[in-house]
Amino acid sequence: MPESPWGWLIISYLFLAGAGAGAFLAAVACDLLAPDWSKALARAGSLAAGPLVAIGTVCLVLDLEAGLWEPWRQIYLVNNLNSMISWGVIILGLFIPVAFLYGVALNEITIVGKRLKPYLRHLEVVGSVLALSTATYTGVLIAVVNGVPFWNTPLMPVLFLVSAISTGLAVAMIGAAIIDINTIRTLSNFALGHVIFLSMEALALVLLVFMSLTRSVEAAASANLLISGMLSPYFWVLVVMLGMVVPFALSIVEYYEYGEMPKSLVVGADVLVLVGGMSLRALIVFSATSPQIV
Amino acid sequence: MPRYGIAIDITKCIGCHSCQVACQNQNGLACNEEFNWIREREHGRSPSFGKRFIPVQCNHCEDPPCQRVCPTGATHTTPEGVVLVNPKTCVGCKYCVEACPYKMRMLMHHLGIVEKCNFCIELVRRGGTPACVSTCPTQVRIFGDLDDPDSEISRFIAETGAQPLRPDLNTRPKIFYKRS
Repeated sequence: MPESPWGWLIISYLFLAGAGAGAFLAAVACDLLAPDWSKALARAGSLAAGPLVAIGTVCLVLDLEAGLWEPWRQIYLVNNLNSMISWGVIILGLFIPVAFLYGVALNEITIVGKRLKPYLRHLEVVGSVLALSTATYTGVLIAVVNGVPFWNTPLMPVLFLVSAISTGLAVAMIGAAIIDINTIRTLSNFALGHVIFLSMEALALVLLVFMSLTRSVEAAASANLLISGMLSPYFWVLVVMLGMVVPFALSIVEYYEYGEMPKSLVVGADVLVLVGGMSLRALIVFSATSPQIV
Repeated sequence: MPRYGIAIDITKCIGCHSCQVACQNQNGLACNEEFNWIREREHGRSPSFGKRFIPVQCNHCEDPPCQRVCPTGATHTTPEGVVLVNPKTCVGCKYCVEACPYKMRMLMHHLGIVEKCNFCIELVRRGGTPACVSTCPTQVRIFGDLDDPDSEISRFIAETGAQPLRPDLNTRPKIFYKRS
């Protein structure tokens, strides 16, 4: 019987597309909300969004077989609008250029950026819709798979969307620290974002696990793999402790200390959110359990 | 137009794997590539116990999840109700492999595409029967038209109450099993 065919390339894609879409949303939020004296977060998020989603899409293409060796076959990818992959191709095809243009426009890179500057708001509106679609779609992609009952729940896109926003915010904050480490106060403002979205992510994850335990034998088998089975050390350490609890606590401190916390801890919390986001996707893919058929 | 299906009497299966080898020969498969398998299930307790052999292959579902998720439309259903993969348009994204709840699809690495049981449709259109059906020494499988109430398969299903595997998955398989 064939093993589960999706591995690290698809996991990387799910993570990078989510983080890129989240970084775009974080950039838009910061551009609209942050005070004028510090826009580093918006700049970092807008610069990271396009490349992250593009690299994720490269992972997706590398995972193809005949479609990789004979790339012209990829034109067939939009043939079936009942397939989430066809929708994904359309959404990514629209979002990647918009994300790159937004990065160029917000940072006024080259003459193109200057020309596009007046259309920044348009790019933000269109891009935000596409970013939300991208982040949600990565969850829907696996949520429609009824061959894996654990994935087959509307909670999955919710979890992926919230996690995408968390990881995107982390990307933007790390980027902002790289561009301008003195922007630490802006980061403190946006640490509240981590508190909010990590809470929502934790809630979605708890609901997913608890409801899976009673939904079907196979979904329960997957959930048990995560909470008490072979994958549980990774789940509790990488996803729950390092990916959620620690950055959550650090973000609360960061918010109240307002710019007084050591910079290594500020950036460290964001790195942990990324570790958690990647691990979450990996564990969800690896915990796939198919129905018992005989 | 017929609507093909297979009925499988697992009480007759001796687990000889002839169907598997016949399928590999018919479809030109390598020794590590298979479109059908024999699952084994032990039952009872000492001193009265035994092993059941359950031949499995693509169920050619009426509502195939693999076809729904296939982005290129390579997976399609023929007028005879046979679910096939077009090797020219499959990109090897493996979404169908994930989507099939029965896990009956095979990734053919050297071709870069996903393949599976095709009910030997070329042979059937020329008047033959699928290789797994004609090879079986104990005649476990019955192949035929599910829409014809007088066909051997329809009568067998009506008489024995044969059921698909996991009908609760709602994909409406066209392979029926007589379990006892």
